[in-house]
Amino acid sequence: MMETSFRPIAILVELVLLMGIIYSLFAGGKLLLFDLGLDPKYSPFMKWVLRIMGLLALIFFVAHLITFYPRISPLSRF
Amino acid sequence: MDFENQLFWTRQEIYITNIFLPIVIGFLVFCMGLLALFILSFSRQHYRLWRLGKKENRFDQVGKRLRTVLAVTFANSGIGKEVYPGAMHFLIFWGTLLIFLGKIIRVFSFPVGLTNPPQILFLYASFLSEFGGVLTIIGVGLAVIRRYIVKPSRLDNKPERTLIFVWGFLLLITGYFIKGYRMAAVGVPIPSDWFLWAPVSYLVSKFILILTSDPLNELLIWHRALLHAIPASLLLAYFVVSHSPLQHLFLSPINIFFRSLKPKSVLPPLPDLEEAETFGVKEISEFTWKQLLDLEACTACGRCQDVCPAYLSQKPLSPKKMTQNLKEHLWREGPVLLSTLPEKRDPPPIIGTTVSEDELWACTACMACEEVCPVSIEQIVRNMDLRRYLVLMETKFPSGLRLVFKNLMNSQNPWGMGRGLRAEWAKPLGAGILSKGAERGILFWVGCAGSFDNRNMDVAISLVSILKSTGVPSWILGTEEGCCGDPARRTGNEYLFQTLAQANIEVLHKYGVKQIFTMCPHCFHTLKNEYPQFGGEFQVFHYTQLLADLLSKGTLKLTKPINKVITYHDSCYLGRGNQIYSAPRRILDAIPGLKRVEMERHGNRSFCCGAGGGRMWMEENIGTRINHIRTLQAIETKAALVATACPYCLTMLEDGIKEKGQQETLSAFDLSELVEQSIEPSVKESG
Repeated sequence: MMETSFRPIAILVELVLLMGIIYSLFAGGKLLLFDLGLDPKYSPFMKWVLRIMGLLALIFFVAHLITFYPRISPLSRF
Repeated sequence: MDFENQLFWTRQEIYITNIFLPIVIGFLVFCMGLLALFILSFSRQHYRLWRLGKKENRFDQVGKRLRTVLAVTFANSGIGKEVYPGAMHFLIFWGTLLIFLGKIIRVFSFPVGLTNPPQILFLYASFLSEFGGVLTIIGVGLAVIRRYIVKPSRLDNKPERTLIFVWGFLLLITGYFIKGYRMAAVGVPIPSDWFLWAPVSYLVSKFILILTSDPLNELLIWHRALLHAIPASLLLAYFVVSHSPLQHLFLSPINIFFRSLKPKSVLPPLPDLEEAETFGVKEISEFTWKQLLDLEACTACGRCQDVCPAYLSQKPLSPKKMTQNLKEHLWREGPVLLSTLPEKRDPPPIIGTTVSEDELWACTACMACEEVCPVSIEQIVRNMDLRRYLVLMETKFPSGLRLVFKNLMNSQNPWGMGRGLRAEWAKPLGAGILSKGAERGILFWVGCAGSFDNRNMDVAISLVSILKSTGVPSWILGTEEGCCGDPARRTGNEYLFQTLAQANIEVLHKYGVKQIFTMCPHCFHTLKNEYPQFGGEFQVFHYTQLLADLLSKGTLKLTKPINKVITYHDSCYLGRGNQIYSAPRRILDAIPGLKRVEMERHGNRSFCCGAGGGRMWMEENIGTRINHIRTLQAIETKAALVATACPYCLTMLEDGIKEKGQQETLSAFDLSELVEQSIEPSVKESG
């Protein structure tokens, strides 16, 4: 019972972590491209591309976690 | 070890073999590629840019340089001067170091059989990583509070800084998650003593959910491990290739290694003054390689801005912004220069595009920025190089300097007083002081202020009177003394400075001078630290050193009490320039009845009077007057007297007191005047 009520919270925490990682990778990639000489005029375009990709990743993660996220508390096994 | 514990560690080892070993091997291979990328990136992004600059030798005293780098890197000695950011940096630095140390030991524990059953080294390594992670999280937490909640004005939160905090924090959390999952998914109870060696992961393991079968759980741990390893590898790649602030990890130690070992604000001479076609710095490649390295090493911590008298008095100069803007300029123009043939290069000038003239002339050369810089960036020489270009090549300088240059050229003093009048102040003191020659004792270098400025003539007379009372023989050059050249040098007129310096050195050599004491810290700094560049090697003292020495020997006795509260204003060129902080205070403390209190900014944090860097001779039309700020700081101490040991500071403080209408509550004195007041008249007469 405990694990059933805990699962949505765990999924939410997981989602925050995953989106944090996605943010880090995308923002890092974007800053790197500009550091390497990409014209800053592409910044708004890049921002939108990354936002859309981030949104798609979010949808995927929500679906994936709801479907596959574990359900058993290790405590209940002993 | 009981059966369950044995099973736990065996299962841990299976996870390590099946999951972590391939990841670690992949990571090590990746690191080798990363090392190659780092070398390439370092060469292309940094080394090539530094090589654009002029040559400068910074490879002397390698041992001393290394020792400082180690002290600053591992003890965070420069950063620790401010408690909050110091503690924050210390926690992040040592926390991260412990994480890596623990991880490396754990990785190498596996092939040598220290993991099953776990040996003490492996257990300690686990604890080190866990503890390091906690330290780092606390440090990052402090940094986030400071940057995003407290928001000190000196910090700007650019996206790359936010990114590092988020990225780093996620790596720490996912690191704990991996271990937590590894413990939870094993299928047997976790050994109770494991809590001591991995407390955070142990707690995490109690709150996570697992799957129904071992193969699925193994897949789950694969997920967790990759969620940690991939972002960690990419963060390393980002660190290596980008211009991220994380690059301070190697740029700061390199800059500290190559720091100047000379006293601060010692300007290098311009070589071949007669032959050279250009002087000073017009465009970025005219800086030295070390000055270009300085730009890249700036971490934008803003400590310099916080102490800069120009910034704090609303002038257009922020040392941090100037350095950051020059860094952007280097990153923008450097690659263009490198990709153009030398004869076709036409780089934009710095002044007018990246640094404004007002910004440049606002600098008082007080060295406060250099004193607090944790990575030893040298701002003063850079500013003076830019001034040299403006003055010598463009003949552009604030209007007040025109007359000063003319007076220095014609009369060897900034006021344009007749040279024949230079010793008038000393005539009533008797012939002894005017008799010339090294055999007469120590030379008293009076300076222009002591020779021509009425208020400072009193100081010179006090000094002679004190020395007479002690029986220490001294003499002056009289009309043969010329301006030391400091006003010309700090305002960029190197040609005029060298002319004045060479003339003075010639006179000093003519009389066989060995020892000199000066009244003015600017003369002291110039004679002591800059005249040797032109063959003028003398033993130079400031009078406070001389008096402190006479006091300690008992030659000078101060008996007449002055029952007042006093505060001492440290002159920049005595203090930060030459580390003379205690001698003036020892003298004040020797005067009976005098109670010394300190201003909030004193010692190496002292606030400039506003006259340095040639500002004495320029109008101050923008913002608050710097001497007013300093006067208010002196008033805050509730002292009745403010003492200094510099003619510029004395003038600025007296003006500040008058302009603030505080003559009734506060009086400014030179330290020597107070010493003279404290000598019994009978002793003075006998001297």
